[in-house]
Amino acid sequence: MSVTALIFFLLALGAGAAAFWFFRQSQLLKLRIIAMEEAGKRQAGSQAQIMHTTKLASLGQMIAGVAHELNTPLGFVKSNVDVCRELLAEYDQQLISKAHGHLAQASRLNLEDPNVKQKLPAALKALAARLAANTTLSEVNELLSDSREGLEQLAKLVRNLKGFARLDQDGMDLFDPIEAIESALVIAQHELRDRISVVKDLVAMPKVKAVPSQINQVFLNLITNAAQAMGERGTLTLRSRRQGDFAVLEVEDNGAGISPEVLPKIFDPFFTTKPVGEGTGLGLSIVHKIIHSHGGSINVRSNPGQGTTFAISLPIDHASLRGQGRGDLRSDEEPA
Amino acid sequence: MDSTRIRVLCIDDEARILRALKALLRDYDVFSTTEPESAAQVAATHDVDVVICDQRMPQMIGVEALRLIRERHPRAMRILLTGYSDLNAVLGSVNEGEVFRFVNKPWDNQELRAIVAQAGQLARETPAISNAAISERDKQEIRKHAGVLVIEDDPETQTRLREILGPHYQLRFAATTDRALQVLEQHETGVVISETDSGQGDLTGLIKTLKQYHPHIASVVLTDRANAQLAIDLINEGQVFRMLLKPVRMGSCRLSVEAALGRYWQLKNNPKAAGRFAVVARATPSVPPSLLQRIKALPQRLFTFGRIG
Repeated sequence: MSVTALIFFLLALGAGAAAFWFFRQSQLLKLRIIAMEEAGKRQAGSQAQIMHTTKLASLGQMIAGVAHELNTPLGFVKSNVDVCRELLAEYDQQLISKAHGHLAQASRLNLEDPNVKQKLPAALKALAARLAANTTLSEVNELLSDSREGLEQLAKLVRNLKGFARLDQDGMDLFDPIEAIESALVIAQHELRDRISVVKDLVAMPKVKAVPSQINQVFLNLITNAAQAMGERGTLTLRSRRQGDFAVLEVEDNGAGISPEVLPKIFDPFFTTKPVGEGTGLGLSIVHKIIHSHGGSINVRSNPGQGTTFAISLPIDHASLRGQGRGDLRSDEEPA
Repeated sequence: MDSTRIRVLCIDDEARILRALKALLRDYDVFSTTEPESAAQVAATHDVDVVICDQRMPQMIGVEALRLIRERHPRAMRILLTGYSDLNAVLGSVNEGEVFRFVNKPWDNQELRAIVAQAGQLARETPAISNAAISERDKQEIRKHAGVLVIEDDPETQTRLREILGPHYQLRFAATTDRALQVLEQHETGVVISETDSGQGDLTGLIKTLKQYHPHIASVVLTDRANAQLAIDLINEGQVFRMLLKPVRMGSCRLSVEAALGRYWQLKNNPKAAGRFAVVARATPSVPPSLLQRIKALPQRLFTFGRIG
């Protein structure tokens, strides 16, 4: 009897242990699955962010590449237009001096001479015709001058694109943040056009140490976001001020504003209020990342129905600060 | 061919650029090639005065072509004409090509004509600088007479330069413009090594103005700024001899300073050749009037000792 009881007891213990083991395993598995899901989410987030940044970087590279490629045809076309104008002017001069010569000759002729009498009208007619052709020249000149202006416009556009992409300066540089705002405004021009009036309340700032192309990207994102928040009409206000060791730059719109529930989430990757397919939800998270990697910070104030203000603080470069504060006399170091 | 006319060689893989340049420079004898490999040969055969070269070509980059021309035909003044102004191209054009001007495409016709006219005149009127190596004996002589001035306020870089250069040269340091001028006033200086910015602010005005009035002093610029435009301005307005990116590397730093002192020595013995390093002067001086006066008044130490042997 006691043996049977012992066997039962041992069996029960075994079953219990097995049940416990299964239970533990399933718990662990569940935890592991949750952890994996989270890791997967995080990874997807950072992967998408990397992809997006790479896309932005390669877009910048492409813009710069195209701009650079345009410089070669622009170079010879612009030069040729100028040279053609010069050559035309030379030709014009020759024509006029020739006409002068002919007229002077004609004035010395003996008009009683039957030979002259016979030939002169035709000669004068021919000369008049050639001089009339001169107006064609001035027309050509006009067209060339228009072309020249157009080319100058193209060259300026290329300079702006290059200035924005800053492939020439893809490292850290001392950089005027106001330049970033101006350069982003040029690129965002098509978003603003006639619909949005731009108010610039910008005072000169000391320089910041930054990667110019990234700061340009930050302002382009903020400015286009603001433009989209304002719908039909609106005012975009850009401000700069100095706050201690920081340059503070503000982008303000008087658009729809952001509700208090949404506000804390706007810098999260993938958060978007735009319709599916329109926004990636990464713009502001990248802005956030860039500003933090520069040792700065970004703050947002918003009143629904009244508008939103983004304020970016970037640390001012100490060398340029020192230079402003002190004069020419500083202690010297002699070689040891 | 009229031998009194300036001879210009244009190198670009785009034939239409070559045609445009030929039309633009029609007062000169223009030779052109789309093959940078043969450019040095062409330059020497026709004894050209000026070379205008593109940077990005499929066979060879312009900086490399210009370096070959500099070795084979040093008399020609070199101009880089490019639509791509990436930092490497700019640094290469200084350190390898030793270019007279760096010009961006699209260019301004009047400006380019003026540059070619000036370059042509300089190539004709100033003696070329020889590529021949300087003897050990001469090198010792130079080091004895001429010092190296470092304008830099970063203690780390100062220490590094002291380690690399201290054992070999008369090295003097200045953290301020004022101190730099004192050194230049008191000591014969062959090479100025300088940052582009210091705690006082911009130093490029000093570098440029110094070159404008004392072209025989060679300047080596150190910078950690990845800024191609800054570098282009230092070529055109400062004719810097070498441009090095920080952190400073032992090998390139030693070589650059050695070559810079050699250049100083050559110009000191052949002051007319310094005319080749004419800079584009800005309408308004890039330094304050008091500093300009001091720079102008620096002693000219040419011919103070003769070439030995």
